[in-house]
Amino acid sequence: MESNGGIMSKIVLKVENLSKYYQMGEVTVKALENVSFGVEKGEFIVILGPSGSGKSTLLNIIGGMDAPTGGSVFFNDEMITGFTDKELTMYRRYKIGFVFQFYNLLSTLTAKENVELVAEITDSSADIDEVMEAVGLGDRADHFPSQMSGGEQQRVAIARAVAKNPDILLCDEPTGALDFETGISILKVLKDVNIKYKNTVVVITHNTPIAQMADKVIKMRSGGITEIIENKNPIEPERIVW
Amino acid sequence: MKKLDKRLFRMIKNTKGQYIAVLSIIITGIFIFTAVKNSALNLRDTLNDYYESTNFADIFVTAGALPERLERQLSSEENIKEVDLRLSFDTKLITDNDDERVTVRVISVDKNEDKINKLYLKKGRRVLSEREAIVIDQFAVARKIDVGDEIKLNINGREHKLKVSAIASSPEYVYMMESEQVLLPDPNSFGVVFIEEEYLRKISGSGYFNEAVLTVKNHEQINKTKDFLEDNLKKHGVLRVLDRDEQLSNSMLNEEINGLDKVSGSIPIVFLLFAGIMLATMLSRIVKKDRTSIGVLKAVGFLDGEIIAHYLKYAASVGIIGGALGSIIGTAASGAMTSMYLEFFNIPILTVKVYYNRIIIAVFLSLLFCIGSGFWGIRSILKINPAESMMPESPKQGKRIFLEKFKLFWNRLSFSWRMVYRNIFREKKKFIIIAAAVSITTGMMIMTMWMNDIMDVMFIKHYSEFMKIEYNISFEGFQDKRILNEIKENISYNNMEGRIEFPFEIENGRYSKTVNIIGLEDKTAFYDFYDIEGNKLRVQKEGILISSNLAEALNANIGDRILLKSFLPDGEEKYVTVTGILKQSLGINGYMNINYLSKEFLDKGVINGVYINSDDDVKVKLDNIKNISSIQSQIDMQNVFEEFTGLIVVFMGVMVIFSGMLGFVILYSMTLMSINERTLEFSSMRVMGLTKKEIFKIIMKENMVMSVLGIIAGIPLGKWLIDYMGIMFSTDIYTMQGKVTLMEIITAIILTVIFIISAQLMTYAKIHKLDFMQALKNRIS
Repeated sequence: MESNGGIMSKIVLKVENLSKYYQMGEVTVKALENVSFGVEKGEFIVILGPSGSGKSTLLNIIGGMDAPTGGSVFFNDEMITGFTDKELTMYRRYKIGFVFQFYNLLSTLTAKENVELVAEITDSSADIDEVMEAVGLGDRADHFPSQMSGGEQQRVAIARAVAKNPDILLCDEPTGALDFETGISILKVLKDVNIKYKNTVVVITHNTPIAQMADKVIKMRSGGITEIIENKNPIEPERIVW
Repeated sequence: MKKLDKRLFRMIKNTKGQYIAVLSIIITGIFIFTAVKNSALNLRDTLNDYYESTNFADIFVTAGALPERLERQLSSEENIKEVDLRLSFDTKLITDNDDERVTVRVISVDKNEDKINKLYLKKGRRVLSEREAIVIDQFAVARKIDVGDEIKLNINGREHKLKVSAIASSPEYVYMMESEQVLLPDPNSFGVVFIEEEYLRKISGSGYFNEAVLTVKNHEQINKTKDFLEDNLKKHGVLRVLDRDEQLSNSMLNEEINGLDKVSGSIPIVFLLFAGIMLATMLSRIVKKDRTSIGVLKAVGFLDGEIIAHYLKYAASVGIIGGALGSIIGTAASGAMTSMYLEFFNIPILTVKVYYNRIIIAVFLSLLFCIGSGFWGIRSILKINPAESMMPESPKQGKRIFLEKFKLFWNRLSFSWRMVYRNIFREKKKFIIIAAAVSITTGMMIMTMWMNDIMDVMFIKHYSEFMKIEYNISFEGFQDKRILNEIKENISYNNMEGRIEFPFEIENGRYSKTVNIIGLEDKTAFYDFYDIEGNKLRVQKEGILISSNLAEALNANIGDRILLKSFLPDGEEKYVTVTGILKQSLGINGYMNINYLSKEFLDKGVINGVYINSDDDVKVKLDNIKNISSIQSQIDMQNVFEEFTGLIVVFMGVMVIFSGMLGFVILYSMTLMSINERTLEFSSMRVMGLTKKEIFKIIMKENMVMSVLGIIAGIPLGKWLIDYMGIMFSTDIYTMQGKVTLMEIITAIILTVIFIISAQLMTYAKIHKLDFMQALKNRIS
């Protein structure tokens, strides 16, 4: 594992010249091209961009689910882009929590069991009941996903991601499949979790107003970063309107 | 309990139909394996114990006249451990019914326990006095003879009354057959009676013994000892020197045990193979359906190995439950099978043993097998990329199928038939599995029908087409041909020919076999010989015709010169040319011209038996003629065979159920899988206005096409299985040769179709219960 010299003590994640190309027949699609940025510990980051801008690809590479064509990703000075499959799995297991657009819960496990499932594979999981309470699902813990609404399922997904005490929470369009009110409630849960558990949260979205609650906004278009904005005054999720 | 294990239990619950289906095939495979293998083991073990406890002889010598001093002389020979000389001959049991002829083999035994071939007492006391007899168990049961009863035997032309002092079993007559020529034991008309040696010698007037039984020190040198005996006893008129493997009862038992071994090594493999294919298919479909969940598990940090282990537990549970249940039920069934064997084999110490190590082996094998095929099914887990798995799979490319090239055919098809063909061609793997299962079912059904008929055919062919002998009469030793005149005076007859039936050792290079050679009249009316191709054969003036199984045993072909060694004192050794190889379903023999046989090897003008076709009651009319040792009639043989067919019916029933089950279970579970996967498609059809019945019809049509192809493929498969069975199960006693008939094929197809339709009806219930509307709501079903 390469070290980045330890210059940035607060930097938890560093992306350097990241590129990802796909070959579609004779055409080379550039999903990411020379992307570089850093994320500080405990930050709430929003990566904003229209669909096809490469934000999901970026999230997948940061999360250790995909490999880049070029460039590097450093997590706490360790270059994860050089990790083996097993090291990547361990990275995902101990350092990363995922929240997906379509929740992706295991349908044959109850809400609580879905959360316990990931807690079982980590060394320092959070208190499950407390996490369930934190996402507002204390009384729905024994329901199966098919018995829950979309918003409730997404809360379970957040609880599942938080339960293993990850360093970074990666959320891929977490409100994309939800109505406005439910969306806002989910954003609130993410913010609460960010404050309570001091996780770094990275949310990718195409929904511009959500950027208002971020500490840092990374705008993307056509596989590249167009702008990085430091938001000195992030607003509360309840005040967001779209 | 770990959450993934909880998920596993719920996964099993949700797929219980398919789970039970594959489990039932594993259970059946392991059940057949354990039941048959255990029976074979049990028989073999018990037989060995029985032989050991009764000190069963290693070598059996039949001779003309063996003097008493020989016992001492032989005992001092190098590899000989113990020797017992005895007197043995066949005679008549005198009964109140004049119409029946009951043959009894009288064997001399010690006053107290014998050294070799000890009797195993069931009732009474072993110590024998004069005018007493011990009766063999099977015969006593069949003829309702008890201790204290009196039996009357004709010995040396006089009636002797003997009091039954005991009922016993003998290791020599576990399978109590009179001779090789009789297919099945008939304890009602043939039995064995043991009489004290001194007394028997006195009443029979024999100064000499005619048999010797021996045990050896070193079994590896047994052939040397046999050769030594053959050479040294020549002057005493040695007829046969057999080892244990050649001894009639023991060789029949070994044939049976070997047959069981063959069954346990073949049929279960078919079942396990299909169970493996089904398990692999089922799991690969489950994994396909769980693609996103597997991606999520990978994304949250589960290792590939952990996810694979999770799905392999599904397969392992099938293996463990299937193996355990199959072997436990199999062990219980082997008890029933063993009891069935007791009807034919008299092994008094036979008990049902539980082979715990076998159960463990069966469970382990089944587990290993299921894990192997399970892994094959889920290996695609390794290829699932967590990021890609979250995205919906791109729909399959809909392209034209091969059949669409045939425009004339394709354009005439209705919309639903076009859909049926497209689905079949797009799901080739499923199509192949269903077609293969149906063809195996058809093939096994054809084989079962054929086996049912072949026993009949073998018997009928042998006793009415091959041999046309109503009465086969054997004399005591060789007689002058003039004895026929005496017989002719007593009965009216349609045909009568003297015959010679005598054992020879035949050698062809390093191959050798001891069989009875039959000497026949030039244009005999009692046999019709055909070769394998169906060409008629005749006994030539010189040379020998041999049965196909003998040709195989000797590796002999037409034109080969084979060496015939007579067992007579100073018997000749001569080369004879094979003039033909004939088809013979029962027994193993050689056939020669009677004049050639007697001129070359015996005395001119002698015979040791006669074939008669007559409407007279031959048994009664020839009752008083001296020198007749036995009269075998075709009707007696038929009656015995009728009893035997009861067993075949049971066997057939079991085979039909097992083969049908295979087709049923595979068709049912594959259809269930298909319904589960196509819920979205069927739901859309329901929205478009199709009824449940119409959807069921589409599935039925798909299965119908597959089944028809499977049945067509099953016919040659059945024929191949028949050929295989013919080779595997042909022995010295019977050769299974016979073509499958149209009727057998039709019956097999009808039975297969019944099982297929039943499986279809079961799936209709599943379609009826499906909540199509719910399916449309979920993107991921």
